[in-house]
Amino acid sequence: MESLFLQQTLNGLIIGSIYSLIAIGLTMIFGVMKISNFAHGDYSMVGAYTAVFLMAWVPGWMGWVGSIIAAAAVVGILGIVTERLIFRPLIGRWTDIDIIMVSIGLFILLENLAQLFFGATPQMISDPFKGATVHIGGVSTSVLRVFCFGFSCIAIGALQIFLNRSKLGVAIRATSQNRFAAQLMGVDINLIYTLTFWVGAALAGVAGVLYGTTFAVHPLMGAMPTLKAFVVTILGGMGNIRGAIFGGFILGIAESLGGNYLAMEYQHAIGFFIIILVLLLRPRGLFGAKEGT
Amino acid sequence: MSKRLKHRLRSVAVVAALLILPQVVQERYFLHIVVMAGIYTIMTMSWNLLAGYSGQLNLGHAAFFGIGAYSSALLAMKLGVSPWFGLLGGGVIAGFFGFLLGFPALRLSGPYLAITTIGFAEILRLVAVNWVDLTRGSLGLSGIPLLTPIRLGSWGMEFYFERDYYYVVLAAVVFTYFCMLRFTHSEFGVSLQALRDDEQGAQSIGIHTSQYKLAVFTISAFFAGMAGGLFAHFTRLVSPDTMSLHVTFDTLTMTMIGGLGTTAGPILGAVLLSLLSEWLRTLEDFFRMDIRLVLYGFLLILTIRFMREGLVGVVRALKEGFSSYGKGRNAGGDHD
Amino acid sequence: MLRVEEINVTYGKAVALMDVSLHLERGELVTLLGSNGAGKSTLLKCVSGIKPPIKGRTIFDGEEIQKLPSHKIVQRGIIHVPEGRAVFPDLTVEENLRMGAFCRKDENAVRKDMDFVFALLPRLQERINQSAGTLSGGEAQMLAIGRGLLAEPKLLMLDEPSLGLAPVLRDNIFAVIRQIYQEKDITILLVEQNARWALQVAARGYVLENGRIRLEDTGEKLAANPHVQRAYLGY
Repeated sequence: MESLFLQQTLNGLIIGSIYSLIAIGLTMIFGVMKISNFAHGDYSMVGAYTAVFLMAWVPGWMGWVGSIIAAAAVVGILGIVTERLIFRPLIGRWTDIDIIMVSIGLFILLENLAQLFFGATPQMISDPFKGATVHIGGVSTSVLRVFCFGFSCIAIGALQIFLNRSKLGVAIRATSQNRFAAQLMGVDINLIYTLTFWVGAALAGVAGVLYGTTFAVHPLMGAMPTLKAFVVTILGGMGNIRGAIFGGFILGIAESLGGNYLAMEYQHAIGFFIIILVLLLRPRGLFGAKEGT
Repeated sequence: MSKRLKHRLRSVAVVAALLILPQVVQERYFLHIVVMAGIYTIMTMSWNLLAGYSGQLNLGHAAFFGIGAYSSALLAMKLGVSPWFGLLGGGVIAGFFGFLLGFPALRLSGPYLAITTIGFAEILRLVAVNWVDLTRGSLGLSGIPLLTPIRLGSWGMEFYFERDYYYVVLAAVVFTYFCMLRFTHSEFGVSLQALRDDEQGAQSIGIHTSQYKLAVFTISAFFAGMAGGLFAHFTRLVSPDTMSLHVTFDTLTMTMIGGLGTTAGPILGAVLLSLLSEWLRTLEDFFRMDIRLVLYGFLLILTIRFMREGLVGVVRALKEGFSSYGKGRNAGGDHD
Repeated sequence: MLRVEEINVTYGKAVALMDVSLHLERGELVTLLGSNGAGKSTLLKCVSGIKPPIKGRTIFDGEEIQKLPSHKIVQRGIIHVPEGRAVFPDLTVEENLRMGAFCRKDENAVRKDMDFVFALLPRLQERINQSAGTLSGGEAQMLAIGRGLLAEPKLLMLDEPSLGLAPVLRDNIFAVIRQIYQEKDITILLVEQNARWALQVAARGYVLENGRIRLEDTGEKLAANPHVQRAYLGY
């Protein structure tokens, strides 16, 4: 029993790192542009399909690592395109509801374009480690999952360095805290918008490869990550990156433990129960700022 | 001819056309589509009241539809209740759930409310999947009874064919339409719009926004539930997919493209998109692909980007292009 | 140095500024007085590029700038320190100051300016790694000014720097502003509700009322003007 608990916690930690990765992009975009993008999970879906295609050419772990980089690039571009064409023209002119709606439109579009081009049958990203497992203490996991976890952490770490040490990174944080003041410092807000979307989408793309490797890849796979990302974002505090990181791990572990000890069928609902609690008791999330900031 | 008379004649003509439609076009497949379009119209009108007039973003609307469908079906199948009462029952039960969902709406808005409503619908959908004793899980309920025949003296009506359901759904649509008209063109409707546009402002002039929110959620859910009941007794099959996010998104897309916050928009959107959808299905063999939903997504994006008021807005703009300017902006929308 | 010619700014249908003209010569300290809602902040936002005018021109060092985006105006040396502090609450004091230098490339010059700011405002040095959100009102105002200085301003526009501060802190801020003016080769446009001090230190001043320039004169003459005395000096 003891090691089952640890095992499930480990599983949750690994999945949680992927959740964090997806949620970071979503929360960043919300923090900087106040946009709730319901199509965010579809960026992951595109990333996953990028991996499917690339690994058809270049199999094995080289293809896999290459896919991660390729997904970041491809989805990053998709992010920039959707930002320029769809979201940016709406900022300040339309209401929040309209922005959510247009992102739903994007969600429907991407999902069904994917279905059109890739077909509805689920595909697999083949395990580059061919099912190898690793055992530490009383727990075991696949080598694949270890690498997934590793890449998530690398990506998260890289982002933190970018946001804390680079001029543009600090500018992104500044813009999300006070857009007006950032403009007065000579920050080109449009550039920041594009950059934020690029980074956020790229992270989602990378997460998509990892998610798709762990589960299956199919055109409708974007819905789940989107909802999970929103749950994590609300849990951590919308706009708060540290919150997204912690929130992702918390959700992953909660789902894993809850699913195993409580009810497997309702595993995916655990996230919703969590945010209902959060919204009732502490709406700003674990790390969120108080209203009125 | 006075304008009033013109308007009246136009309405009479529309009603007459609607009444004789099934006598003229008897093809069952076509009528099936029209009936479904009618059911969707009730969905869009009810969602429009909530999102368009009151500004409450409900992305769990399918839950009300599903609850209404399941309730009506189960009342008929397990308790032997007449489906006619089942329709009402489905609406009432759905309305109750709407009331429940109104509570989170008191404190949340925007994306927070949206996610909560999605969660609400998802949890209910999972209940439908897992409470197999009641709902038969993913298999769903089949063999739901048809609407029972009506007899008034020597006149009777049975409900075997699409044509019969057409009249029922038409009556329901007309009923819903007039209710919506009453709601929106009254003090209730004005208060709802005040709530949408500036909640704090509305509170400061004494509008009890909480009561209004709970009321509009309940009402909206009732009509969606009624639509669900009609769906159940028409298609005779209900499954957890009835409560899926895709149903909500279809409703939402139709309403937005038709024109959110107008009276005619939901009807226009539901009817046109249903017809468009079917037309595209016939082309599917030609293209060998299903582009309906791709088009939905594309149109939704286009609408919000360029025609915020939907088709109603476009029609209005065209009319204003010809007639005099200075026509006041009627927040209630015109029925064209 | 700066010439604002017949600027008109609207928010939708509401007219905020109507045919406003003013000018600043290099090295002057000019004040803009006016009560709440007169349009002072709007005027600054117009010059700094946040809120473009629907009519009129703004000319800075011979160049028309009213159509430029705000980040290009900052690059030209016009720095707007907004009212209400507007610091970045989750960035440290140092990160806030560095944001001021966002457009600058010369690291040495930036460091020299940082030293200047810390010498001028030692309390900031004490709190250098603290989150700006935890600073007191007076400290935050100093941070905002220091941040503005780090942008290497040719024209520094201060929007109500003393607003909401206790008298002692107000005097501190005023002393700081005076010191900046004296030690640096800088032009200052000072927007203030506290007319008394502003008129003491400014060579010239404008009075803005309901979106229009009502008066323009030297500091002394304005201080002696009966209308100004009644409306802004509390006589």
